[in-house]
Amino acid sequence: MIGLTLVIVLPALAALVGLAAIDGIEIALVSVGGAAITFVATLIVAVPRFGTAGPVGGSWGHAWGTLNAPDVSFALRADSLSAALLLLAASVALLVQIYSVAYLADDPRYRAYASIVSLFSASMAAVVVADDMFVLLIGWEMMGVCSYLLIAHYWERSDARDGAAKAFLMTRTADVGLLIAIIVLGQAVGSYRISDVLDAVAAGDLSGSTITVTALLILLAAIGKSAQFPLHTWLPDAMPGPAPISALIHSATMVAAGVYLVARMEPLFLASETATIVLGLTAVITMLIAAAFALAQDDLKRVLAWSTVSQLAYMFAALSVGSVVAAIGHLLAHGAFKALLFLAAGSVAHAVGSTAFADMGGLRRPMTWTFATATIGFAALSGLVPLSGFFTKDAVVGAAYDAASGGGEGPAPSWLAWLIVVATLFTAVLTVAYATRAWRLVFSGERRGSETAHEVPALMRWPMVVLAVPTALMGLAVVRPGWLAGSEAEPVHSWVAVTSTAILAGVVAMTWLLGRAGDPATRLGPIRPVLAREFGVDAAYNRFIVAPTLAASGLVLATDRDVVDAYARGASSGAIDASRLLRLAQSRNVQTYVTVAVLGIALAAVVAGVTA
Amino acid sequence: MPLLWPLLLSAALFGVGVYGVLARRNAVLALMGVELMLNAANLNLVAFDVWFRDVLVSGQVFTLFIIALAAAEIGLGLAIVLRLFRAYGHVDVDRVGGDPS
Repeated sequence: MIGLTLVIVLPALAALVGLAAIDGIEIALVSVGGAAITFVATLIVAVPRFGTAGPVGGSWGHAWGTLNAPDVSFALRADSLSAALLLLAASVALLVQIYSVAYLADDPRYRAYASIVSLFSASMAAVVVADDMFVLLIGWEMMGVCSYLLIAHYWERSDARDGAAKAFLMTRTADVGLLIAIIVLGQAVGSYRISDVLDAVAAGDLSGSTITVTALLILLAAIGKSAQFPLHTWLPDAMPGPAPISALIHSATMVAAGVYLVARMEPLFLASETATIVLGLTAVITMLIAAAFALAQDDLKRVLAWSTVSQLAYMFAALSVGSVVAAIGHLLAHGAFKALLFLAAGSVAHAVGSTAFADMGGLRRPMTWTFATATIGFAALSGLVPLSGFFTKDAVVGAAYDAASGGGEGPAPSWLAWLIVVATLFTAVLTVAYATRAWRLVFSGERRGSETAHEVPALMRWPMVVLAVPTALMGLAVVRPGWLAGSEAEPVHSWVAVTSTAILAGVVAMTWLLGRAGDPATRLGPIRPVLAREFGVDAAYNRFIVAPTLAASGLVLATDRDVVDAYARGASSGAIDASRLLRLAQSRNVQTYVTVAVLGIALAAVVAGVTA
Repeated sequence: MPLLWPLLLSAALFGVGVYGVLARRNAVLALMGVELMLNAANLNLVAFDVWFRDVLVSGQVFTLFIIALAAAEIGLGLAIVLRLFRAYGHVDVDRVGGDPS
């Protein structure tokens, strides 16, 4: 229990101390040191949870009783699922902190940046080890705030401000679902503890409609946080933030929290066929459109962002067919290779001063280390045979195939499972295509752009090398997923492995041949602008949500200014006019006063004479 | 002599005095208007004293009082006018009352 609390408190403490640090070196020492100590604490807490060990947990102090509502308390709980997420978050946070020391060396706002990154990992830890749903909600919202602050790090740029506001508003809107779900579950179960809720679901204490409604509400929050269709548009627009932040948001925190939440509540979802179908369809739509969008982008970080959206949809697809192991396995592998790819994108941006493909090309020779590690990352993303992505992607496809052929867990109907099998395989084709295209545009061919590229400093190089190790080798652990959930080891599906390897080889060769003359995406012809516009989802949001909201707020403003305020202003200007009239009598001219007095007396005398 | 004549003269004098006080901008002339009004009152007092044939001649006594008071008043008034002139450089009653410049 103390350990679980420490993994939340330590980074939060590092965030506070970092604010008090004097110069850049002290800030770096505090934030990197804090992340390192947190990592050690996480190792101590997490490692014993793997394998067949049961969960640990507890609650601090008294429950805060409220009228007619279940108690809320600071309750924490960790099992192998939490442990895996904790390890991922702590290790990526540590590497990001180290990388940022060099990446943001000359940045005037490095202090705030480092503190918010520490707070970010504290929030993620709180989400992952929370047992009380309100603790989870607090961590969940803290993460939203931190991501807002970090995306807007370069707030001089309007795209950074807009992207941050968009990310915050979209995720925050979706978060309302989580809050309502928590209240409904608390009333239905009589406790806000996640463990109690899952026990009640297992015991069949909840009505079918309660389960469906709360599962859909939780799914809404997860869709927002993990940028799934139709709330997928914030993630690519969050790219103006510093590259290490993208690495953190896209691999281990923010978007991973959505997958974690659904995985944590998996029994709730599997108890409702409607929720499962919605989850599966969302995943299918998202993985296909996001991968297609990734194919048409002109910016390396935007390609990676769409790739994240697409890969997260893989995890949701695995969850919809009831395979938590496949989903979390892919989450871990994706966390490693996507963090690596974003750090590599940061290195490239550091070297050429831009993230646009137009400024890259031919970086293989000047940036050997970045090239080598990014190649491993792209290969893992594509699912090359011995690397982590190969095994985890196959686990997802295999789980869907098992569900389709009737051998899976959960209520997913077989048409949905078949749809997922087809969609994952087709997405694999697109994934290989955009990965190959991006890799080729960055590293091979002739050098474009004016800046002379250089290899990045060691502090930025080593985090990439460290991440390349699990990217390459984690697959061996995922082959035996028994360590994760204590379940039976799932065998690698041989037909999936063969198919995906054939896809990989075929698509790489095709993309390479198509791209011999330049950018392979030009071969998309008239489809490309449609994909680059991302189907106009954002334009629709602008037209049907943003514009009416602005119009309504303009109306409110006008009403307030021209109607409500008019009364107050009218009262004051009326009083001023009246006093101006009265002031005429106070002329300061004694002769006027006397004239008035004499005329008055004369009038009185006349009246007296007439009436007498 | 009927009472009417001195009363008419007194009313005319008083009217001239009121006009002087209300219309003249020069402070000295305004003071002279005040004197005219006082003397119109004196004329009334003397006229009614004669008309009543008062044995105590209180009307004439009051008139003497008022002449003395008027002398004191004009002394005070002229002193104020002098101060006004020193402070403002003019004795225009319309333009006094602000800060002396």
